[in-house]
Amino acid sequence: MAWDPEKDVIEVVRGPQKAGGAGGLYRAFGETLRGLKTTFGQLRMGVDTIQYPEQKIPVYPRFRGRHQLHRFEDSGLEKCVGCSLCAAACPADCIRVVAAENTPEHRVSAGERYAAVYEINLSRCIFCGYCEIACPFDAITMGHEYELSDANRSDLIFTKEMLLAEPIERTPLRAEGE
Amino acid sequence: MPRPTEKLVSLTIDGNEVQAPAGMMLADAALKYGDVEIPVFCYDAKIGPPVGACRMCLVEVEGIPKLQAGCSVAVTDGMVVHTDTPTVKAAQEAVLEFILINHPLDCPVCDKGGECPLQDNAFGWGGGLSRFIEPKRHFEKPLALSPLIAIDRERCILCYRCVRYSQEVAEDDQLVLEERGADTFVTTFDGHPYVAPFSGNIVELCPVGALTSRPYRFRARPWDIEQAGSVCTLCPAQCNVSFSVRDERVLRVLGRDHEGVDDGWLCDKGRFAYQAIHVDQRITEPLMRDGGELRPVTWELAIETAAKLLSHAGAKTGALVGGETTNEEGLLLTHLVREALGSNDIDSRPGGALELELLRALNAPTLQASVPDLQYAHAVLLLDCEPVDDAPILDLRLRKGVRHHGVKLLIASSRPSALDERAAHSARFAPGCGEAFAAALGAALAGKPSASLAQAAGADADDVAALAAQLREAGEEVVILWGERLTAGPRRNEGARALLNLADELGLDGRDGGGLLEIPSGTNSRGLRELGVLPNASIGLGDAPTVGRDSQQIGEALAAGDLSALILLHSDPLLDQPSSELWQRALGKASTVIAHAAFLTPAVLEHANIVFPAESYAEKEGTVVHPDSRVQRLRRSIARQGETRAEWALLAELAALLGNDPKALTCSMVSARIFDQVPFYNGLSLDLLGGVGIRWSERQAAASFPGAPSAPFTLDPPPAASSPNGLLRLGSFRSIWASPEVEASPALAFLHPRQRVEISPADAERLGISNGEIVTVASNGDSVNGLAQIRANAPVGTVFLQSSIPQQSAALLGGPMVEVKRA
Ligand code: SF4
Ligand code: SF4
Ligand code: SF4
Ligand code: SF4
Ligand code: FES
Repeated sequence: MAWDPEKDVIEVVRGPQKAGGAGGLYRAFGETLRGLKTTFGQLRMGVDTIQYPEQKIPVYPRFRGRHQLHRFEDSGLEKCVGCSLCAAACPADCIRVVAAENTPEHRVSAGERYAAVYEINLSRCIFCGYCEIACPFDAITMGHEYELSDANRSDLIFTKEMLLAEPIERTPLRAEGE
Repeated sequence: MPRPTEKLVSLTIDGNEVQAPAGMMLADAALKYGDVEIPVFCYDAKIGPPVGACRMCLVEVEGIPKLQAGCSVAVTDGMVVHTDTPTVKAAQEAVLEFILINHPLDCPVCDKGGECPLQDNAFGWGGGLSRFIEPKRHFEKPLALSPLIAIDRERCILCYRCVRYSQEVAEDDQLVLEERGADTFVTTFDGHPYVAPFSGNIVELCPVGALTSRPYRFRARPWDIEQAGSVCTLCPAQCNVSFSVRDERVLRVLGRDHEGVDDGWLCDKGRFAYQAIHVDQRITEPLMRDGGELRPVTWELAIETAAKLLSHAGAKTGALVGGETTNEEGLLLTHLVREALGSNDIDSRPGGALELELLRALNAPTLQASVPDLQYAHAVLLLDCEPVDDAPILDLRLRKGVRHHGVKLLIASSRPSALDERAAHSARFAPGCGEAFAAALGAALAGKPSASLAQAAGADADDVAALAAQLREAGEEVVILWGERLTAGPRRNEGARALLNLADELGLDGRDGGGLLEIPSGTNSRGLRELGVLPNASIGLGDAPTVGRDSQQIGEALAAGDLSALILLHSDPLLDQPSSELWQRALGKASTVIAHAAFLTPAVLEHANIVFPAESYAEKEGTVVHPDSRVQRLRRSIARQGETRAEWALLAELAALLGNDPKALTCSMVSARIFDQVPFYNGLSLDLLGGVGIRWSERQAAASFPGAPSAPFTLDPPPAASSPNGLLRLGSFRSIWASPEVEASPALAFLHPRQRVEISPADAERLGISNGEIVTVASNGDSVNGLAQIRANAPVGTVFLQSSIPQQSAALLGGPMVEVKRA
């Protein structure tokens, strides 16, 4: 269908063309005052700015931040057995697992195998949490940390040691009902 | 027995009318022709007839009140089958619940996870719930079934596949089931490790993670790897394989079932020697000899120096080409040697050249048998070869033929064969007397006197007569599987003539389902020959303008100073050539030795001036030719390791530096040139070859194969075999494990052969030798040591030693008679 320029013309509705009189006064001050009423009305609500990074918003318990790998509390063994199921589930393909076999002298996890290499490329992760759902051993969970900016992409590839370590600073958690 | 003729029957599967060949099992027919999957565990057509052990495949067949096992019921005309009725569903769920009763929840730590038929079937056909809360059975796990295979008995679902494989396919009778009922478990007799040439196949067969490969254990998940199809070039059988690649490393080798080549099996060398691609000993950068030692140098320096040395030697250059060379490399090397250097001294056959006419006659397309012919022929005659060592996978094919198709197996060899017990008749002759034996057999078949010929072969005249009688009675379709050693050695031409006469006597020329099948000494020997990588042939087995020196003469000329430079393309004369002594002298005298090698084998280590790293078979592209004339394609599966470069490109560059550029820009360009220049390959292309290859002898272009004189030839009488008077005759053989790849693979290192001295019980008793003790074998002042191995069916008066091993090789001994004594 050919384009009809007439159809796209926007109609502009203008006020009375002639200035002066009470209408003019109202237009000059009335509308402005109406706006100022809203502005000053907000004054009694107080200040709501959060002083990030000194101050942080607490997150919900199910907030999906940076992953954490876990150990058994009693034995200290890694929960992860290097099964690669998280890697299979990951839609961003950002997990790399290379497994190896536990030996009696070198036991890392409770199962037959363990993750010799476990890396997550957090610059590609979309924080969907599928890895957490896939893990048969609750070895990986989505943590609460969200401060993940870095000056270098390759520093965003988190290794097993980094994922196993406790975060340096805990993200505040929102209390029940808050 | 000739191939079964296919008769189609029609049946109904789930309401659809389908046609399937009569006799096919329902499970196969449903999948192949009806597009309906009947789940199975214990059944796999390639293991042989079904046993119905697992009951996973239950289906309803109208007219039969009880459910039937789809794997064990053959299709018949008018059969009406239902695979998705409520009864069938209930049965499938019950069977899976039952199978899972004792199965541990190991998926996350199990190597089979992600490619496990049990997972798939449980997901697809299972009920999802188990009512079983009692304790499961427990075994110690994982245990080593052998240095290569781990067994986890808790995961075993007792499908019997592995046991049936061991007893009916490989026929090594090592795996057994012990105990009864729920206590049954898979083991070997007396708990010995399962060490056999084909043991690795059970890993691929096991439908659960009970049998896993120890070298592959935990290396990757199916979603971490990519499968890259290529061809195994570790032996002439050229099995079709698929490499599992992760991060540019080959992590395992799986079979890529090809009925015309490997029948779906691999030998342990093919399955595990991939490890040699990724070991530190492998040469992955150019080396140059400097102050007596090989040191790494840059590619530029190595190529420039090599070109300088070669142009200096010019026509005084010889070249030995090993069997792993592809057709493309072969073509470019002949260009380098013939056009750029002006020499004709190039050979790919160890042990001397065969007359061109005879080569043509032996390779004539009408005379070639195919690999499947071994399985369906009336009779197969093994002549001077031992399949399990020379082309392992053919051993399984012959066993299948004998077991399932009534093939009459006849063996004529000097060394006892692993197939002897399956043979209708085996005859022995003195080592190196294959020619005389073939002549005797030919004479016996023709009804002429053969006793004196048999005697010259050191064989029993009755044996010859018995073989002849069996051959005559067997039927028309006869395949002669012969080893290249029949046409090596000083009487090689007579050997070829005797063989051709024998084939003529049996009328094999143009016979469907019969013919000759050679087991050559090198993987691609056939292709190299057809490309004219020979002193006396040009491309396409045409006449050579000038006849050059063969491998033997190259050695002699080097030793005498008539040649000064030697190119070793994947070849180590100290391992491959019959006489070490000659080649020690030749290499010592050569002023330039340029080697393309993957490992520092003796000649490379001691004598090479420049070593170029050779690509491994997973890094190569190009084509090779199977002994039964199937042109197959190698595809590059991983990145070249280290500094390794494409060898075809290197050969082209060397020729260009020497002033004769072959103008080869890509490898496929060279392939196209080959298909164009070899008349009987005309019309082939890489696309046509695809993943399965094409037998050129079956194509129209085969008609342009050069004509050859036809049998019968007159034979001159063979010399008599030396008689063992106190001394013993020396025979040599190359073990399946004798290869640098096996030696370099950590998982196979336990198999790499030390010298063993095979001797008959009678001789052992006479010499006071007991099994396993160290003995010395000496001749003319040279001697080698080895472990005595007494073999029951070894011929009296002969001792067998291994060749092609780096130390204590049989090639060190002159022979033909040796003295054996306790060390
Ligand atoms: S959160 Fe999602 S994208 Fe990120 S690693 Fe896990 S599965 Fe992958
Ligand atoms: S984190 Fe969980 S799913 Fe991922 S490899 Fe480890 S055990 Fe398997
Ligand atoms: S080990 Fe595997 S192949 Fe053998 S019986 Fe058990 S499940 Fe079957
Ligand atoms: S039989 Fe030969 S080609 Fe086949 S897998 Fe073994 S070594 Fe490779
Ligand atoms: S597959 Fe039919 S009984 Fe096992």
